[in-house]
Amino acid sequence: MKAIFGAAAFMLAASGAWAQQTTLVVNSWGGPYEKLHKQLVFEPFEKANNVKIKVVTLYSADTLAQLRAQKSAPQYDVVHFSGGQEVIAAREGLLAPVKPDELSNAKDLYPFAKDGMARGEGPVHLVTAIGLLYNEKKVPKAPIAWKDLWDNAYGDHLILTDLSNSFGLLGFLMMNQVWGGTLDNAKPGLEKVGALLNRSVVINSSPEVQQNFAQNDAWLAPYAQDYAHAIRQSGQPVKFVMGKEGAPAVYFTANLVANRPNQALAKKLIDFELSPEVQAAFAREMRYSPTNSKAQLPPDIASEVVYGDAVNSLVRFDPAALDKVRNGLIEDWKKLIAK
Amino acid sequence: MNSLRNDLIISVPGLLLLGFGFLIPVTGILVLGLRDAEGGWTAVHLLRFLTDPFYLGIAWRTVKLSLVITAICIVTGVPLAYIMARGSPRLRLWLIICITLPLMTSVVVRTFGWMVILGRGGVIPDLMNKIGLVNRNYTLMHTETAIVAGMVQVLFPFMVLSILGVVLRIDQRLEEAARVMGCSFLEALRLVILPLAIPGIIAGSLLVFTLSASYFITPSLLGGARLPVLAGSIYESATRTMEWHFAAAQSIILLLGVLVLLIPYARLSRRSHG
Repeated sequence: MKAIFGAAAFMLAASGAWAQQTTLVVNSWGGPYEKLHKQLVFEPFEKANNVKIKVVTLYSADTLAQLRAQKSAPQYDVVHFSGGQEVIAAREGLLAPVKPDELSNAKDLYPFAKDGMARGEGPVHLVTAIGLLYNEKKVPKAPIAWKDLWDNAYGDHLILTDLSNSFGLLGFLMMNQVWGGTLDNAKPGLEKVGALLNRSVVINSSPEVQQNFAQNDAWLAPYAQDYAHAIRQSGQPVKFVMGKEGAPAVYFTANLVANRPNQALAKKLIDFELSPEVQAAFAREMRYSPTNSKAQLPPDIASEVVYGDAVNSLVRFDPAALDKVRNGLIEDWKKLIAK
Repeated sequence: MNSLRNDLIISVPGLLLLGFGFLIPVTGILVLGLRDAEGGWTAVHLLRFLTDPFYLGIAWRTVKLSLVITAICIVTGVPLAYIMARGSPRLRLWLIICITLPLMTSVVVRTFGWMVILGRGGVIPDLMNKIGLVNRNYTLMHTETAIVAGMVQVLFPFMVLSILGVVLRIDQRLEEAARVMGCSFLEALRLVILPLAIPGIIAGSLLVFTLSASYFITPSLLGGARLPVLAGSIYESATRTMEWHFAAAQSIILLLGVLVLLIPYARLSRRSHG
């Protein structure tokens, strides 16, 4: 009898605990990234904190749209952005500010990763830098700088990416910058890149980069470090190098949504994403750069990403200002490249 | 009266589908092209297109390529349709299977096939290199030729089947009579078969022209970013730069452009019937 009562009491207690188990709702971006995100962050966090994490597959722009729509009754606890949407979201009051002293890992972050926290944005947890991808077996000499794209030694073996692709846009802005342009003045970049068109294939999407290295005898392409790894995995002798003038980058931020319960737990999740172990694992699996200075990478991985002191050369174009000029720039670009 | 009611009852599902699935959304999109951000009426999006040589160039490329594609489909489709019509039923069946079989494969897959054939080191550039016409790095990818080749393959069946239907109905005795009256084979084709096949050619041309003017997958994959066509430009405006008003305005221009070109052509068809 006693045993049965005991069991019943235990079950009641267990079901009570079940009912009380909190759920955090987050977004991730699908594909291999989301798989890794679950494996490295969400699943271990669920186990360690007795919490359920509901992952919604949603790209950054769509996530911002949903946050706006749900302003009076937000449904997400932590949102991840890669396109600078956190700047806009923070400005519109959709995010809750997190103070660096509320996160145990914040003190180890590189300064650029916590700059935004003072403006109410979440910290940067991963970075993918845009540099030069080159075929190490074909190039007459390894490129070191963005201006090397204009070196005739690389002949007509260049790949340029259309500006409707965000890597293409950032790469172009960097080329514009090294020739003296700014966000408001893209003329130097358009003129200079225009001179490359006869030596280049212009592509739209990431798979085309790989295809051009594999089939079309491409030697040199401005693109992202994580994609260099993906191409190398497929068997192409493609290496990544950061242009010495700096590396524009895509910043992955983890943001706390305003007006949600369980903010303490949500902060803990953000903190976990900033931990050196998680970040090192992301670098190992997909070649994203850590933003935690304590993240230790073995030399072979460190050589393939922007890491250590090199993070000081990361270039960030102001997302809000970029948003304003983006469509005009894309139109000018289309006119430039159209035959 | 009863039969009218019966007709209505039968056509209700189709009409509903047409209304909700086609008329309402299409009208919505067309209206969007004439609205400004505040919801007032404006022609600014249309003018942006019509006053910019870049966009007019895109429109011209679309029309030009569609005309070339249609012309190639006619020139190659008429003889094939004739042979199919005059061949044995068995041969006809096999030819129809050969022509329609590619339709069972996704356009994207077929386009990837063209990318392999036309790309650097692909079958055709390789052959041209061996003959000594071009250098080793020559590629047909990202050229208008590539777009035309890919589109003709996609749209050819529509042309052949349209013409076949008409040629099959031509009385074979007319042709025999022409031969008896002294026509050579080719003269009989030109003076008898071709004029009678005009309605099929026109129907096929309308199909092929409208489809090729509104295709964007094949042109964007084979032509690349540097050879934009109107449908691709609409796609970019709608999905990449999120300029829905401008995308809708471009749709209006595409629709009106196709109508302006096709209505006189369709009239021709009616005249040749009567």
